[in-house]
Amino acid sequence: MGVRRRSGAFYLRVNPILCDGFGHCHELAPELVSMDEWGYPLIKREPTALSDLATLESARYAVRGCPRQALRIERVSEN
Amino acid sequence: MIALTTPYLWYTTRATGMVALVLFTLVVSLGTLVANRVGGTVVGRFEVNELHRSVSIVAVVFLAIHILTTVLDSYAPTGWLSAIVPLTSDYRRIGVAVGAAAFDLILAVWISSLLKVRVKNETWRFIHWFSWLAFSSAVLHAYLTGTDAKSGAGLAVVAACALCVFGAALWRYVARPTRAAGRTALSPIASAKGPAPTTPRPVSPLASSSFPRHEPQTMTSTASGENPHAFPRSAAPRQSKRRR
Amino acid sequence: MMLANELPRLLRGTPGTPLTLGQHEATYATTFKVASLLDELEASGLTGRGGAAFPTARKARLLRDQRGHNKVVVVNAMEGEPVSYKDTTLLSANPHLVLDGAAILASIIGAKDVVVCVSRDNPNAVGNVQRALDERERAGAQGPQFKLETAPWRYVAGEESALVHWLNDNESLPQYRPQRPAILKIRHHAVLLDNVETCANVALIGRFGAAWFRALGTAVSPGSVLVTVTGALERAKVLEVVPGMTLRAVLNVAGADADSQAVLLGGYGGSWLDAAHLDTPYDNESLAQWGASVGAGIVVVLGREGCGVVETQRVVQWMANESARQCGPCAFGLPALSDDLAEVGAGRRDASRALQRLEHRCVVIEGRGACRHPDGVVRLVRSALRVFAGDFEGHARGAPCSGSRSRRFFVAVPRLEKEHELVWE
Repeated sequence: MGVRRRSGAFYLRVNPILCDGFGHCHELAPELVSMDEWGYPLIKREPTALSDLATLESARYAVRGCPRQALRIERVSEN
Repeated sequence: MIALTTPYLWYTTRATGMVALVLFTLVVSLGTLVANRVGGTVVGRFEVNELHRSVSIVAVVFLAIHILTTVLDSYAPTGWLSAIVPLTSDYRRIGVAVGAAAFDLILAVWISSLLKVRVKNETWRFIHWFSWLAFSSAVLHAYLTGTDAKSGAGLAVVAACALCVFGAALWRYVARPTRAAGRTALSPIASAKGPAPTTPRPVSPLASSSFPRHEPQTMTSTASGENPHAFPRSAAPRQSKRRR
Repeated sequence: MMLANELPRLLRGTPGTPLTLGQHEATYATTFKVASLLDELEASGLTGRGGAAFPTARKARLLRDQRGHNKVVVVNAMEGEPVSYKDTTLLSANPHLVLDGAAILASIIGAKDVVVCVSRDNPNAVGNVQRALDERERAGAQGPQFKLETAPWRYVAGEESALVHWLNDNESLPQYRPQRPAILKIRHHAVLLDNVETCANVALIGRFGAAWFRALGTAVSPGSVLVTVTGALERAKVLEVVPGMTLRAVLNVAGADADSQAVLLGGYGGSWLDAAHLDTPYDNESLAQWGASVGAGIVVVLGREGCGVVETQRVVQWMANESARQCGPCAFGLPALSDDLAEVGAGRRDASRALQRLEHRCVVIEGRGACRHPDGVVRLVRSALRVFAGDFEGHARGAPCSGSRSRRFFVAVPRLEKEHELVWE
């Protein structure tokens, strides 16, 4: 029984072809996603720490809520 | 097959059938709202989507009870098979067949949505379009088999559901988002408007309009070559294997 | 006997009358034997001539290490850039060199099939390749199975993922490939895709060796490069030049107007270069300091009477129309850039705001497409804002330059097709 450490970081990545500008990601994860003038997501380029649980949860909701399944959470490789 | 002397299974079938129909009306309407990108100000768009997903689960549960009670009930003799395979029921053959068809389609739509992460997006969208057909079959089934749907309040409910979804279908088409060439869509929250369909808008009135795709070519060592490779209009395109 | 330090290497023969197989064998006859083709390719330092300048040997090695018995080599002769004629010229002068190179690449990676993709709208090139393939077959050449495919001509149809997608699914649409390294696949078979000129150079290396190849060019950009020069000159020319010679020298050989404003390098997705920097050597390392690159060997000369703002607007408008419209930032962003440029170009009332919007939109659009099409347009616009800063300012103030009113355009832009006329299949 140990504490599960959360080290490392993640990116929220969008598949721009699948993305159709629904905008659910911006509603669900506003700290990561903002909108450009055509309603398409502008996702933060810098990685977010995995220990930032609130943001991670928002990101997970965004991935689940995207109507086109265009989002993915990518772990930053540790090395 | 439960041989009951009381018709309670049969009542449950009829009741859950009605409820399922109303719930599916709600599901389809909510789906239309999602597709036409409603929300963003008072109600979040993702909330409409979540509601659509949640209500669909409830609707499927009622549908499951409806089918279960139908199959288990001996009063209206329908076997397990006829719930899935159309035209295998002895009781109200066409009506149950249409219901079985509706169930198959709803099952396909529902399972592909549960596995949405695993299924390719185009596949999921293709199957999801069949939800309209599923609903139409459900309404037809309600009218053809429903003891209650023939008259009175039952008929009113079924008619209202049908009308509601028909209106939703119309609105779905009329208020659809503008697309760039049938592919990506302009978001409803766009502050900028989308591109107009392409019309040549040259800056100067005498901009070259008849530009040969290829001009005469020369190479270092030789004199000016001949043969402008002017491209004619392309030949008839190959039959597309798949339409977008 | 071909000398190491002599041009031409690739362009032997006359365009319009391609060398027959016999003539080709005679012209490129050699007694040199190459031990390991891949090692020779690596030693040569050949980089791709399709625009990205990726080391050819590295790509070949990666494909050789892929699993599979049915790999495919794809020769990209689509030439999506409208102001590039080098691939067509090469095919009309010496198609067998290209086919030899493709065969060599196939033997390196272990492929049994070679697909040569030519644009359907270029019947001359199609004919040349077909005749060359027939000659090879009649002569009973060993090696991989060749096939000719004709895709519709679009700017993005020459992009590697779009071309492979067309071969798979009959639609020239670029694909999203986030995984690095990205291996192209035709029905699960790994694909090595190379430009026509790259394949021709591979053939030369296979015949004459890396040392011979490196006798021309610089250390980092060895070999010879085909350049298409258009714009302020009498006739468009395709030259074979050596990296390292200055741009000015290239333009002199081409017979271009010595008094030019700027040159467009690399293609519609490339960059403008001020004429003051024409003494820069024509290779990627030297041009990088000005934010330019050789690209697909394209040079368009903008004469004094031209206007950089208007020329850029025409190019961007056409490029916006050529978007595959799969990704929002490209489908909606590029037409917005084009509109802003038109506002500035015409010197209308809110031209200065359009100029600010232009800079902001460039930042927003860059890097958000599945392919590099929007990035190329953004690069072009940014370089125009840099090189023609004075003109932009004048236009924004409502005083367009005299060049914008002239009727002469230096950058040839094809006719803008209506959306329903665009053929992607």
